Amino acid sequence: MIKQNHGIPYHAVVAAVVLTISVALLAAGCGGAPQNAEFRPIDPDNAVFWDRQTTESAALLQQLAGEFNKNRAGLPIKVERSGGYAEIFRKVSASIRARTLPAMAVSYESMTAEYIPTGAVAPLDPFIHDPEIGLIREDLEDFFPVALETNTFSEFGGKMYSFPFAKSVLMLYFNRRVLEAAGITAPPQTWDEFLEQCRRIKAKTGKHAYAVNVDCSTFNAMIFSLGGEVLRGRETLYDSPASIRVFELLETLAKEDLAYQITPGSYDDEVALINDLVAFTLRSSSSRANLALMMNDPARWGLTRIPQGDPSRPVTVLYGPNVVIFNTTPEHQRTAWEFIRFFTSTEISVRWALGTGYMPVRKSALNHPEMQQFWSEWEYNRAAYDCLHFARPEPNIAGWQQVRDLVAQAETEVLARIKPGRQAALDLKRAADAVLARN
Amino acid sequence: MLGLIADAVDGVLAHLDNGLDRLRRRGRGDAPTAALLLFPALTILVVFGMAPLVVSAYMSLYGGKHGMGPFVGLANYVEALQSPVFRRSFLVTVYYAVGTVPTTLLLSFLIAYGLHRIVRGRGLLRTLYFLPYVTSAVAAAMVWRALFNPQTGIVNVLFVRIGLPAQQWLLEPRGVLHLITGGWVPPELGPSLALCCIILFDIWHGSGFMVVVFLAGLAAIPRELEEAARMDGAGGLRIVRHVVIPLLSPTIFFLGVVGAVRAFQAFNSFYALTQGGRTLGTTENLVLHIYSNFYEYGYWGYGAAVAVLLSSAIIALTVIQWRIIGRRVHYS
Amino acid sequence: MRKLPLYLVLCAGAALSAYPFLWMVGTAFKTLPEATTPGLTLFPQQWQWRNIADTFRAAPFGRYFFNSFFVAGSVSAAVMLTSLMAGYAFARLEFRGRTAIFALVLATMMVPFEVTLIPNFVLIGKLGWYNTYWALIVPWCASAFSIFLMRQAFLGLPGDFFDAAKVDGCGHLRFLFRIAAPLVKPMLATVGLFAFLGSYNAVLWPLVVTTDEAMRVVQVGLTAFSGDAGVRLNLLMCASAIVILPTVALYFAAQRHVVEESLSAGIKG
Repeated sequence: MIKQNHGIPYHAVVAAVVLTISVALLAAGCGGAPQNAEFRPIDPDNAVFWDRQTTESAALLQQLAGEFNKNRAGLPIKVERSGGYAEIFRKVSASIRARTLPAMAVSYESMTAEYIPTGAVAPLDPFIHDPEIGLIREDLEDFFPVALETNTFSEFGGKMYSFPFAKSVLMLYFNRRVLEAAGITAPPQTWDEFLEQCRRIKAKTGKHAYAVNVDCSTFNAMIFSLGGEVLRGRETLYDSPASIRVFELLETLAKEDLAYQITPGSYDDEVALINDLVAFTLRSSSSRANLALMMNDPARWGLTRIPQGDPSRPVTVLYGPNVVIFNTTPEHQRTAWEFIRFFTSTEISVRWALGTGYMPVRKSALNHPEMQQFWSEWEYNRAAYDCLHFARPEPNIAGWQQVRDLVAQAETEVLARIKPGRQAALDLKRAADAVLARN
Repeated sequence: MLGLIADAVDGVLAHLDNGLDRLRRRGRGDAPTAALLLFPALTILVVFGMAPLVVSAYMSLYGGKHGMGPFVGLANYVEALQSPVFRRSFLVTVYYAVGTVPTTLLLSFLIAYGLHRIVRGRGLLRTLYFLPYVTSAVAAAMVWRALFNPQTGIVNVLFVRIGLPAQQWLLEPRGVLHLITGGWVPPELGPSLALCCIILFDIWHGSGFMVVVFLAGLAAIPRELEEAARMDGAGGLRIVRHVVIPLLSPTIFFLGVVGAVRAFQAFNSFYALTQGGRTLGTTENLVLHIYSNFYEYGYWGYGAAVAVLLSSAIIALTVIQWRIIGRRVHYS
Repeated sequence: MRKLPLYLVLCAGAALSAYPFLWMVGTAFKTLPEATTPGLTLFPQQWQWRNIADTFRAAPFGRYFFNSFFVAGSVSAAVMLTSLMAGYAFARLEFRGRTAIFALVLATMMVPFEVTLIPNFVLIGKLGWYNTYWALIVPWCASAFSIFLMRQAFLGLPGDFFDAAKVDGCGHLRFLFRIAAPLVKPMLATVGLFAFLGSYNAVLWPLVVTTDEAMRVVQVGLTAFSGDAGVRLNLLMCASAIVILPTVALYFAAQRHVVEESLSAGIKG
C-alpha cells in the first residue's frame, strides 16, 4: 500500500459520499410513513408458515401439514423453519417493511403487539365466526379460556389477532437423588418451603440447590404464584409487595450461595440437573421431552407445579407462542385459518401434545384415551396438564418486548449481588414504566 | 473445448479492446475502459454497501416504531447523544478497541518474529496459529462458552486447583479492576470481566490473520540488512527496533487501520459469546445497541441514527489515523 | 540449540492457540455424561464414534454443505473477477475522479454490516430474491478490501510491463486478462481464499434471507442445531468440528503458495 495510496484526499470521500447519498435517496424509497398497499404473499403458490420448531416437533409439524394438504384442494401449507423467535421477529419486521409476508407465523403476544399497528396482522374474529369455516359454540367453549384470552388484545379493540399454537406452562423440575441426599422426600409446595429445602440441600450436600435461568416469564409466574400482578393498564406493578418478595427471595438465594445464574439462552440448568449438580430448575413444561431423553432413569427426577404463596389457590404462567395470520391475499388467509382449525382439533391437539410436550389447548383433549394412557405411564406425566386449569397469561401490550429485557436485567443485578432486591424492584418499575410510556 | 472457450473469450476481449481504443483515439482517454472495469464492483458496492447507509440516514429522521412515526428531524440524534445507555455502549466499544487492537498487534508481531527466526517446524506452527482465524465465530464461541462456564468450565477447574477463587467470567458484570484489586476500585469502573473475556476471545481469534500478514512483511525485508546490522554489533533488540520495525511500519499501519475498523464493527463475537445477553450492558457495544433498538425493540429511527453516528465515527477515525500516523510511516 | 527457548515459547503459544480445537474434537467423541462432567481430561476415555452418525442424522448437514460450498465458491469466483478488474482500473488507468471513487469504495468498508441488514433485506424482497441463491451470493460479489489488495498487487508490478504491452498495441482488457492476471495470481488466490472464508462463515445474512430448509447453509444449520441439540454438548461439538473442517483443509491446501507470498507483495507495494 503505501506508495500511491497515501495521497488519498479524504475530502474526496466526503464529496463522494454526499453524491451517493443524493443519488441513493432517489432510489431508496423505503423510509418514512407506510403506504397503504396490500401485503404481497412471499410465495403466491404456497401458504408459507414461518415456524421455529426443531427436531422431532418440526418433523411432526411437517407431517401434519402434509396430511392437511392431502385432503384439500387449493393452496398447500408450507412450513419453513425460520430460526429462533428473535430471528422470526426480525424477519417479520423487515418483511412488513418490504410489504411481502408469509401467510402465517409463530408469534409471542409481545411480538404480535408490535406487528398489529402496522396493519399487517389479520384479525381472526371474522374467521372464527364464519358460518362455513368458523368454529361452532361448542368448539369455542372447549378451548381453555386462558388460551383464548391471551390472544385477545384489549389495546387493539379487544380483537383476537392470534391463535394458541404451542402453549406450555412453567413447571418446577427436581432431581430426586439430590433431594434424597439432603433427606427431602417431596418437592416444595410453597416458596418458604422452597427456600428452606435449598438451605438444607446446601448444608447436607454442599451443592447449589437451584440453577436460575433468568427469564421474564419465570419471574412473572413467581409473582403470580404469590398472589401478585405485573401490570395495571399501562403501568407495571414491579414495586408491589409480591414482586419485592420475589426479588428478595433471589437476593437471599444469591447471598447464601444457594443458587447461581446460568448463561442466558443456554440449557446449562438442565445439564446440571441431569448430572445431579443441582436439585431444582424452573422451566417450561415443554422441556420434559428434553430431560426425559437425557435422564434414562425415571426414578431420578420429576416435575411438579411451581411453589406457591397459597397452595390452595395455585397459579402458574401460560406461555409459548401463538400463530398470527398476515394480511395477504384472501386465499392465503383462508388457507392459514383452515390449517389453524385443523391443527387445534381435538384429535390433532392430542397428537401434537404427546409428540412435543406442548399443552393441548382444548379440554376434550384431556379425556382422550391416548392422553389417559400417557398419564398412566409415569407418575409425573400428568403434572403439567393439571396446571392448565390455573395457568394465567402474561401481558400482551406494545413495548412489552423491551420490558422483558429490563426484568431479566433486574434479576441479574440481584443474582450478581450488585443491587439489593428492594432497590432492584423500585428501579425496574421506573424503567419499565418509562418504556411503556414511550410506546 | 476449453481452448474453444478461451478463443471465444479472447475474441470478445479483442473486440471490446478495439472499441475502447477507438474511444480513446477520440480523446476519451482511459475513462471508458475504467467504466467497464469498475461497473460490476461499483454497482454492487453502491447498491448493497452505500445505499443502505443513505436509507438509514433517511430513516433516522423519523420517530416512532418500525418506520411508521412522524418526521422528527434530528431528535433521534439528540436522544442518542443524551442517552446514558448510548454513552455506555460507546465506552464499551472504545474499551474493546483499545483492548484488542494494540494487544493483537503486539502479540502477532512477537509470534511472527519468532516464527521468522526459525526454520524447522515453521509451517506447522504457523498453521496452528492461523487455525483460529479460519474457524467460524459461531463454532469457536461455543467452545469458549463451555471452557469459561463458571460451573463446569475447565478455566475455573484450573483456577480452583491452583488456589484462586472461581470466577463468573462471561457472566460477570463487575469491572475487572474491581475484581483484581479486591474491591478497592468501584465495580462499574473500567471494562467488565465479561468484556475482557470477549476481548481475549478476539485476540485469540484475530491474531492468526495478523501473524500471517506480519510474516509476509518480514519475508520481504532483505536478509542483508539484518545481517549488516548484526555485523555492526547490534543486539537482537536493537535490530528489531532500528531495522525491523521501521521497515515493517507500513504493515503495522495497515493492520492497525484494518483492525480498528473491525473492532468498531465487532458483533459476531459479542453475540455468539453472550447469546445476546448484555451482562447488564457491560457487553453491549454500539453495534449491539443498534441491533437491539432496531431489530428487537423496533425503534428504527433511533437505531438508524446511532448507525449513522457509528459509521461516521469509523470514517472519521480512519481519516485521522491516515492523516496523523500515516505520514510518519516509513517507505522502502 | 541456541534457539531452544524460542521453540519452547512458540510451541507453548501454539498449544494455547490450538487448545480449544483439541477440546472441541475431544468432546465431540465423548459420551454425554463424560462431556458434561467438569474435569481436565482432554480426550475421551472411550471414543464414541457414532456421534458423527448421530450428528448427521440429527440435521441434514449434507445439503447444508452443498449450499455452503456452492455459495462460497460462487462468491469467491465473483470477488476474484470483480476485484481483479476494479483493482486494475484503480492501479493502472488514468481517469477523472479516480481517487474520489476509490475513496468511496474504501468507505463501504466503514459501514457496519448490521446497519445494512434491513435496507438490504427490503431490497432483496423487492427483487423477489428471497429464499434464492441470488440473495446469498450477489450482495457479496464485490469487496472493498479485495479491491484494495488487488490494486496493491498491480501497483507492485514493474511499470515496464505495461509500457511494453502498450508498444505491442495490446489493449487494456486483453493485457489484463492474458498478461497481468497470471502475474498477480498469488494475490488473486488470497483474495479468493478470504472471500470463501468470509462467505462460508457468515451467519446473520443467510439466516435473514432464507427460511427454506433446502437453502440453508452450514453456519445457519449449526446455529439451529445449537438450539436443537440444547443439552447434547458432545453432538454440538461434533457438529462444530465437522463445520470447520473444510475451511481448515482449504487453508492447509492453499497456505504455502498463496497467502504469504502475495501479502508480502501486496502490502509492501
